[in-house]
Amino acid sequence: MASYLVRRLGQSLVTLVLATMVVFAGVRALPGDPARALAGEQNDPAQVAAIREKYGLDDPVWVQYWHYLTRSLSGDFGTSVRTNIPVRDMLASALPVTIELSVLAMIVAALIGVLSGLLAAVRRGRPAEWFANGFALLGLSVPNFWLGLMAILWLSVGLGLFPASGFVPFREDPAANLHHLALPALVLGAGLAAVIMRQTRSSMLDSLGTDYIRTARAKGLQERSIVGVHALRNSLIVVVTIAGLQLGALISGAVVTERIFALPGFGKLTVDSVFQRDYPVIQGVVLVTASAYIVINLLVDLLYGLIDPRIRVAGEVA
Amino acid sequence: MSHPRVARLLAVPVAALVLAACSSVGSDASSSGGQASDDVGAAAGKVKSGGTLTVALSAEPDFLDPTLAGSLYSRYVFNAMCQKLYDLDSSVHIQPQLAKSMPQTSADGKTVTIKLRSGIVFADGTPFNSAAVKTTLERDLTNPRSARVSELGPIASVDATDPTTVTIHLKTPFAPLTAALADRSGMIMSPKQLQAKGDDFGNAPVCVGPFKLAKRVPQNSIELVKDPKFYDAKKVHLDRIVYRIITDGSIRAANLKSGDAQVADTLGTDDVQSVKSDTNLQVLESPSLGYQGVTFNVGNVAGVGKAPGKINQPYAKDARIRQAFELAIDRKALIDNVFDGLFDPACGPISPDSEYSTDAVQQCRGYDPAQAKKLLAQAGVKTPYSLKMLVTNTPASLQFAQALQAMVKQGGFDLKLDPVEFTSLLDQQDKGNFSVLQLGWSGRVDPDANTTNFVGTKGSQNVGGYSNPTVDKLLGQARQSQDTAERGKLYGQVQAQLQKDDPLVYLYRQRNLTGVSKKVSGVQVYADGLIRVAFAGYAK
Repeated sequence: MASYLVRRLGQSLVTLVLATMVVFAGVRALPGDPARALAGEQNDPAQVAAIREKYGLDDPVWVQYWHYLTRSLSGDFGTSVRTNIPVRDMLASALPVTIELSVLAMIVAALIGVLSGLLAAVRRGRPAEWFANGFALLGLSVPNFWLGLMAILWLSVGLGLFPASGFVPFREDPAANLHHLALPALVLGAGLAAVIMRQTRSSMLDSLGTDYIRTARAKGLQERSIVGVHALRNSLIVVVTIAGLQLGALISGAVVTERIFALPGFGKLTVDSVFQRDYPVIQGVVLVTASAYIVINLLVDLLYGLIDPRIRVAGEVA
Repeated sequence: MSHPRVARLLAVPVAALVLAACSSVGSDASSSGGQASDDVGAAAGKVKSGGTLTVALSAEPDFLDPTLAGSLYSRYVFNAMCQKLYDLDSSVHIQPQLAKSMPQTSADGKTVTIKLRSGIVFADGTPFNSAAVKTTLERDLTNPRSARVSELGPIASVDATDPTTVTIHLKTPFAPLTAALADRSGMIMSPKQLQAKGDDFGNAPVCVGPFKLAKRVPQNSIELVKDPKFYDAKKVHLDRIVYRIITDGSIRAANLKSGDAQVADTLGTDDVQSVKSDTNLQVLESPSLGYQGVTFNVGNVAGVGKAPGKINQPYAKDARIRQAFELAIDRKALIDNVFDGLFDPACGPISPDSEYSTDAVQQCRGYDPAQAKKLLAQAGVKTPYSLKMLVTNTPASLQFAQALQAMVKQGGFDLKLDPVEFTSLLDQQDKGNFSVLQLGWSGRVDPDANTTNFVGTKGSQNVGGYSNPTVDKLLGQARQSQDTAERGKLYGQVQAQLQKDDPLVYLYRQRNLTGVSKKVSGVQVYADGLIRVAFAGYAK
């Protein structure tokens, strides 16, 4: 086990270093000079040269990479070329927003998806199913940005139920925080809700047709108990797996949602920094994302190894 | 964004998205609500004290450091936070702000004396005086990353003659200096804070202003609070101003309608009608000092700032082809179709609102597609003459470019579009990797800042590599002259030469379209394009 762990850790480290290299080279391959973008309308050559020097942009790429790598190891991701704010602070303020938004969207999606899926399965062939299916079709086919815009126009501008944009940190005012995030979470969760609805419906239909449900019915159990306890519980295993897999899609959807609702999250930070060629921010964002993926993958692999010794043994033989 | 998330050279209708340019809501200001902006801020008695004003900005400000800032959006924020030696009034005239009076220039034009107001303190409580002005100007001139060097011109030295007098010594006379001191170069920073923060001043700026920085959430918002130490604090009604960055125009308009924002900058021309139709809102429309146009690469062979060379293309060698291109454009029709007629046609770099404008400065080559074809025939090129134009890949920019493409076709041109992302466009533009480029400038009060850098041989933004000794000479004379009429005459001659050479076909001046809630009084938009909210307040 120890050698397996060491090998997996080593592989992860190599992956991480490779990821940083690819991103580092990638952002520099983009056309456009961050110093020039920053100099703005004035475009004074001396100023552009001074900016390049200040951020080390005139060093050879490998020197820049080495500086980046060594500084990153000590947790120093540099400062934003555009605002001079430390990248670490920017990441620290953006991450919680996206995490909270994703979690809320997941809750919204699970609530809507499971309930409507359940309804569609139980009321098969009736208007409730058509309604739920129609909702799923809409949820899957309507793009996030359009839904967001419509939600703002209808629920914020028209009815005044929710703020149209902005963010209040949870620790400052929990009620205002949830009020501001409700609409974005609804918009972001809509697509996922549709996926969950369809999954719940089909696995519920499978469950309802199994022998143990027939037995339960034969025993004279109440329908509510059959559906709610016996069928749903079994169906949820698949649903939870699918929902987990969709988490990645949720985070990429957050990029669009955050821009529409002007939320200072990770997605918005990523897109804005790419447009502004803010190299230190792009690198920081990618490093954090890549690390997160690698750590999660590592944990999952290790868990598999614990659960199923065959994987570990196969790994050792390989 | 894009942006310009930064005020900078812009590919045309990025303008519509990014560039707010310069404008004035003066006597000719129009507004849908019938209430134009109030020149002296919110009149006491009409507004109540307190409240938070939210301003939706279309791009994020860059450094909140007057020496380093390059973005128009940082100027919005500075306006409430950092007062200047001079400011503009609603009719584009320069007025003293932290200075006591207009500057006195010696007979030879080389010594400028500025008297300062006394009894003023910075937000950190330290005194505002000539030493602070000297420290600030010297930082603007010597900091390697300063964006102010070219604006301040040929300053040899700055003396703090006495606590309320500053003397600026110039190497050569420089008329645009006062206008520069009415912009970021004139924002005086606290020497104590500069000493403490150095290049990080922008993270904790300290100036003289009605408001001071409270909090900045990167990419999201900037929050200012009222500064009780401000010398005119009794005229400040609001407690707090929040600048929130909302890049999408429709969402900015939606925030205005929902009441989440009370002011929104740079409304899209397609959003104007819906904002106007809302009885709680009004649109402030004000003309701009900037321009949008099409630049031909006539000599940028080695990159901007390098000596212009020869481009071996008919359009670069023969001015008749460029003149034909101008003749093929019906500016008014273009504006009516693409911008609902909300913008103004432009034929040259200087706005008709400028005090230096004359008939000669505004002379224009009208729409005449038949003549365009004739000129192309005279130039001996095969028609349709093919040209490739670099544009930004935003929908608004492409829409305008496509309209232009259709229009010049009538005059014998086959205009191909090359859409690229904004930062890439800046790169290609500077390197000279283009034939034609859609380009804009946010505009400045002094005409020198709208001309010399763009069409002067050594101009830092002469991306087309245009070089004409006559133009250089006239521009040089104009920037040294202290006489308004004489400068106007010289700029008329510059325009005549530009019309002949057509290195840059000026197309239109956008109007600043600012959405404002009727609950708020005293929001102003002047010729410098800034939204002034520092003295606004909520109506009683």
